[in-house]
Amino acid sequence: MFFLSWRQMVARKKQTILILLGISLGTLLFVSISGVQLGMRYYIAQQLLNHTAHILISGAERKVNPTEVTNAFYGKNEFVAWLISPSGLREEVNLENYGGWYDLLSNDPRVVDFSPRMSAHVILSKGNFNSSVNIIGTIPEKTVRITSIENYMKEGTFMALKGSHNIVIGSGVADDMGVKVGQYINVNAGSGKMGTFKVVGIFHFGNEQVDRSLSFANLPDIQILTKSPGRVTEIAVALFDIDKSQVIADEWKILTTDKVEDWQKANQSFMEMIRVQDFSRYFITTAILVVASFGIYNVLSIMINQKKREIAILRAIGYGPDKILQLILYQGLVLGISGALLGLLLGFLLNIYIGSIDLNIEIGGGHNLWISYDWKIYVTAFISATLSSLIASFIPARTASKMTPMDIMRSE
Amino acid sequence: MIVCHNLIKDFGDPPQRVLYGTSFTIEDGEFVSISGRSGSGKSTLLYLISSLDHPTLGEVLIDGINLKDMDTKQIHKLRNEKIGFIFQFHYLLPELTVLENVLLPARNLKIIDQKKGTAFELLKKLGISHLANRYPNQLSGGEQQRVAIARALLLKPKYLFADEPTGNLDTINAQIVMNILKEVNRTDGTTICLVTHDPDFASMAKREIYLIDGKISHRDNEII
Repeated sequence: MFFLSWRQMVARKKQTILILLGISLGTLLFVSISGVQLGMRYYIAQQLLNHTAHILISGAERKVNPTEVTNAFYGKNEFVAWLISPSGLREEVNLENYGGWYDLLSNDPRVVDFSPRMSAHVILSKGNFNSSVNIIGTIPEKTVRITSIENYMKEGTFMALKGSHNIVIGSGVADDMGVKVGQYINVNAGSGKMGTFKVVGIFHFGNEQVDRSLSFANLPDIQILTKSPGRVTEIAVALFDIDKSQVIADEWKILTTDKVEDWQKANQSFMEMIRVQDFSRYFITTAILVVASFGIYNVLSIMINQKKREIAILRAIGYGPDKILQLILYQGLVLGISGALLGLLLGFLLNIYIGSIDLNIEIGGGHNLWISYDWKIYVTAFISATLSSLIASFIPARTASKMTPMDIMRSE
Repeated sequence: MIVCHNLIKDFGDPPQRVLYGTSFTIEDGEFVSISGRSGSGKSTLLYLISSLDHPTLGEVLIDGINLKDMDTKQIHKLRNEKIGFIFQFHYLLPELTVLENVLLPARNLKIIDQKKGTAFELLKKLGISHLANRYPNQLSGGEQQRVAIARALLLKPKYLFADEPTGNLDTINAQIVMNILKEVNRTDGTTICLVTHDPDFASMAKREIYLIDGKISHRDNEII
């Protein structure tokens, strides 16, 4: 029956091409919108993951409870009225049991690696210039393994942190203070805790806020600087499968009073934005495909009305209802598949073009948009275009296959 | 052999009877005409005995098998292999060439290559072999009808049903078509059942089934 379907489509070239273009337009839009959006998302996720972790385990902040204080000092039966009720944090934020975490993380096959960290707010100063940053004390070789920070080093290397009193600062801070690699700056952690550090590297994520407010140092240096040796405030964990971060974080949460946060939760507003993007992307594509499907439905419905006589004679010759169904269905399928393939190709080319436009703004080291060429986009586009045209042609095809020769001839 | 037993056909709601208990037999190799005035039920009768329509009551047996007992697949196989149809309109597929149209029954059985020679011979016999690669809309009415006949005859059907095949043709072309039918009946022994309102053509058949108001009668009985 394919031969006949093909001949009928060729016979109405204009309609066929028009519908083909409709379906390819839907597919094209899905491919290029998805390419741009997912590329953007990948870029933002990369940015976020450079300085956060897939999962971050940190000490929970615990508040002072007035009743507990009262009971501890005066016993349960005493009535005490505080003039100023005790409040504030109980102690400095601290991991409860680093050794326990060390064992757990070392033995979990889903974990690539982890790095203990100690973060502190410090003021960097050189001459008259100050800059307030968040400094992360870390183990350089572990950090390099679980993040891609080494790719974002503008000057120096991250591994140069090894040794003592070295610091890696962001490009924003370096520009503000006029510091170059090899120069020394003062690091002030408040209440007289101060040290002089040598700048061994400057990173540039291309994110203004991060480049101005983050710096890295060796873990023991920060522990000494803050006069809290052996203390770790958080553990950064890298996973093999980044999409499982939420599940694994929930699993670990049960085991501990520490705060376990996956990167998606830590960046909730970003994840919400992604969800909105996804919705609009699917909405636009669905709308276009619905319109294209109506096109298929209309053309095939009109066609079977015009072709009643031919259907009647085919039935009289011995072509059964199943063959008539195929006759119409093949046309929808051919339109769907070739329209989808054309759309995939055009979408791919459009993405290459969009990716080559120089936007004159800095995005992750280049001036072009990041475009995703994930094969899943193409498979989704292909399947949805083919499926919608199949459904659109099935209804007229069924109508045609139910016509009997007598119904048709009597209506003539 | 086609055996009809007490065929009754009603149409519409409330039902209007078109055929009143018709019974007859058509032997193999016969040339039978079904005639009568318009509205006498002759086309209806043809469609009933050719498997295109179902009787309200009664039975049709083709080669001993009751049409009622056949499923859709068997009916279409029967039409494909044993029956040829010719209608008043040619019903050719406009997207296909003359040769492709003629080969349609073979295409359904996937034996196109074996039947190409037969198709060409048929076209030659009908005097239209030079048109084999033209499209139907480039042909005259007589030529189109001859293509339709070639299509009906391609698989050498045992039965040929023709519903006013000359209805749309001028006298000369009508005569040509009738001669072809007679020739086929004589040489191939094809059983032919022809519906016509033209008394001359009806009398060309060896036997005439004459209908008056849905009942088998005789031409002379009609009150004019």
